[in-house]
Amino acid sequence: MIEVTELKKFYNGVAVLDIPSLVIANGESFGLVGNNGAGKTTFFRLILDLIEASSGEVRVNGETVARRDEWKSYVGSFLDEGFLIDFLTPEEFFSFTGKVYGKSKEDITVFLESMTEFFNGEILGKRKFIRDLSKGNQKKVGIAAALIGDPQILILDEPFTALDPSSQIRLKRMLNELKATQNMTMLISSHDLNHVTDVCERIVVLEKGHIVNDIFTNEDTLKELEAYFAV
Amino acid sequence: MITFELFKHQWLKTYRAPGFHRNLVVNILLAISGLYFAAMLVLMGFIAPSILHDALPDYQPVEAFNGLLLYIVLIIFALRFLMQPLNALDPTPYQILPIKRTRLINYLLLRPLFNPVNYAALLFMIPFAGNIAWKAPYHSGWAALRLLVITVLFVWFNILTASLLKRRYGSNPWAMAVIMLVAGILFLSEYFHVFSLFDISLRIFDFLIGNPFGWLIVAGLAGLSFVLNKRFFSQHQYAEKASKQASGGKSYLKKFSFTDRFGKEGSFISLILKLITRNKRTKSTLFVSILFLLYGLFFYPKKMYDDNYGFTFFIAMIATGSLMLMFGQWLISWNGSHFDCLMTKKMNADTYIRANYTLMMLFNILCFIVTTPYFFFGTKVIFLQVSAFLYNIGVNIFLLLYFASYNTKRLNLNEGSAMNYQGTTYKNFLIVLPVMIGPMAIIGIASIFGAEQVAIWVFAALGVIGVIFSKPLLTLCQRRFIQRKYALCEGFRKKE
Repeated sequence: MIEVTELKKFYNGVAVLDIPSLVIANGESFGLVGNNGAGKTTFFRLILDLIEASSGEVRVNGETVARRDEWKSYVGSFLDEGFLIDFLTPEEFFSFTGKVYGKSKEDITVFLESMTEFFNGEILGKRKFIRDLSKGNQKKVGIAAALIGDPQILILDEPFTALDPSSQIRLKRMLNELKATQNMTMLISSHDLNHVTDVCERIVVLEKGHIVNDIFTNEDTLKELEAYFAV
Repeated sequence: MITFELFKHQWLKTYRAPGFHRNLVVNILLAISGLYFAAMLVLMGFIAPSILHDALPDYQPVEAFNGLLLYIVLIIFALRFLMQPLNALDPTPYQILPIKRTRLINYLLLRPLFNPVNYAALLFMIPFAGNIAWKAPYHSGWAALRLLVITVLFVWFNILTASLLKRRYGSNPWAMAVIMLVAGILFLSEYFHVFSLFDISLRIFDFLIGNPFGWLIVAGLAGLSFVLNKRFFSQHQYAEKASKQASGGKSYLKKFSFTDRFGKEGSFISLILKLITRNKRTKSTLFVSILFLLYGLFFYPKKMYDDNYGFTFFIAMIATGSLMLMFGQWLISWNGSHFDCLMTKKMNADTYIRANYTLMMLFNILCFIVTTPYFFFGTKVIFLQVSAFLYNIGVNIFLLLYFASYNTKRLNLNEGSAMNYQGTTYKNFLIVLPVMIGPMAIIGIASIFGAEQVAIWVFAALGVIGVIFSKPLLTLCQRRFIQRKYALCEGFRKKE
């Protein structure tokens, strides 16, 4: 469970994020939409303790995240290429990340086998460093590495961009499966309203740092969102 | 006009780099050290004849110089091959514009010829040429002028050939081994009088300087190199092909799996070892640290440093701690490009700092073992090296770890050359004061009162105390790191 209270972030006196209260329940799939600069990435970075909140706090499973390490055991995340170690091969990166989470070699092999469909034969055994992979394939590596530690909570920033159409569909299928089988909490931001309504039960719209809409997905959600973003 | 535009873009690239203005202090310090080296070169130009006369009394100074010149050309060539960066201007945005290919190629090839730094040799040659003009065996102003022309032509030849070989063979680790081997063979055959490059060099340069048209041969060599370069480009006109060759394949995919046995710390250390061997920047740092290991060879045997304990302690610190002192400056910031990754994975601050500490410790132990042959220079060296080692592992290691979190600049690991100051701030120079200059100064002051041995004992004792209290000291570094975490995250996210 993620609880956000009085969370504010200022840059040069301007509030880029201001969330008085927000609770994301266990097993909830939470979609975050909003135009560029709405504060989506800032919000995720605050949850992951990568920037310091100007005030307020984020609690994961009842414990504050700021300057702490406990939450790292059950949160998996991939925001951007800064989450990759680009001079490693994908295999080395998975084995490093797996070891950090205390996984054995066999665990990692089993995990990578479960990713076979998502990887579509483009990631493993290529003898390439991550920095030499395409943006889409880098994204696949990052998403897989976020899942390697069996997280209770998964945070992904724009997971669908840069992926080819087939991989987008595979990713959606994989996320829905994880939700069904492991009751994983998911926080996903996206510009693609179609995908995010397909995956998420709850969608929050951010605008200039404020929550302007908080809806539980039904058959009208997509239309509602399209109407909201129409110009 | 387009060529002019390209030069302008190059200048803008330097001037508009985000770090350029913020880094004014560093740039000024670099400029000052540049001026210092320039002054040294000019001074060397004036005093070289008397040094050469002392060193090789059988020859005229100019002859001795001619004999050594081929060595100098070859050494500069090797250094250039190892250190010279290739085309700094990324041609891709220009390739799609209607600019003639030959013009771009000419620009890429000839740009280094317009870099004044490459003509530093003239600072030495111009005062030295006076010797040719007024002394035996030439007594000729024309010969002096020819020497200068030949120097410039050799600079061109060196630049063009080195970049050709570099483009052709890439920064292959074997290339360095081959160069070292050839240098070793030449040196040994000279020493055992098997074959004398000195005599050959003497004859070649005597001819080139003495003959009014000798310089044409060198010009021909430079021209040939230019033509070969152009041919290489016409055969490898696609950036993809060339860069594949420059990266030298993946044959150096080392695993360093032996460290994995030591848990999380171990896998972090193996990560850093991969980081060092797979990025250009860190590879050239590694090369420089190996050179530092050899420092003792130059200074320990010299009589003039016998009583200068401060300076020799400084040398001992560099020799026994070269890896830590070179890489320790970049602790934490070398993880800049994947810092978010480390901070969101299950890697506690405690593990992170401890792993860095362990790695620095291993570096020190390795350097200490490798430099033990210096013990043959006498008990004084043993005393100095052991104390310096203790001081490094007990005090310097913690200073570096503690202050590392203040360097929040992202390092660009893929841009390599030995003279790369990207990511350097005045903080790097500040840390040198307590780490290196401090002990040297204190021992120097103590030696005025005849207490230099006591001072060194004190430094050694401080080191032992540091090792004993390593646990609380590490906790201190760790707390500092956690406090600085957000500043580090933010700094590393800014790309230069």
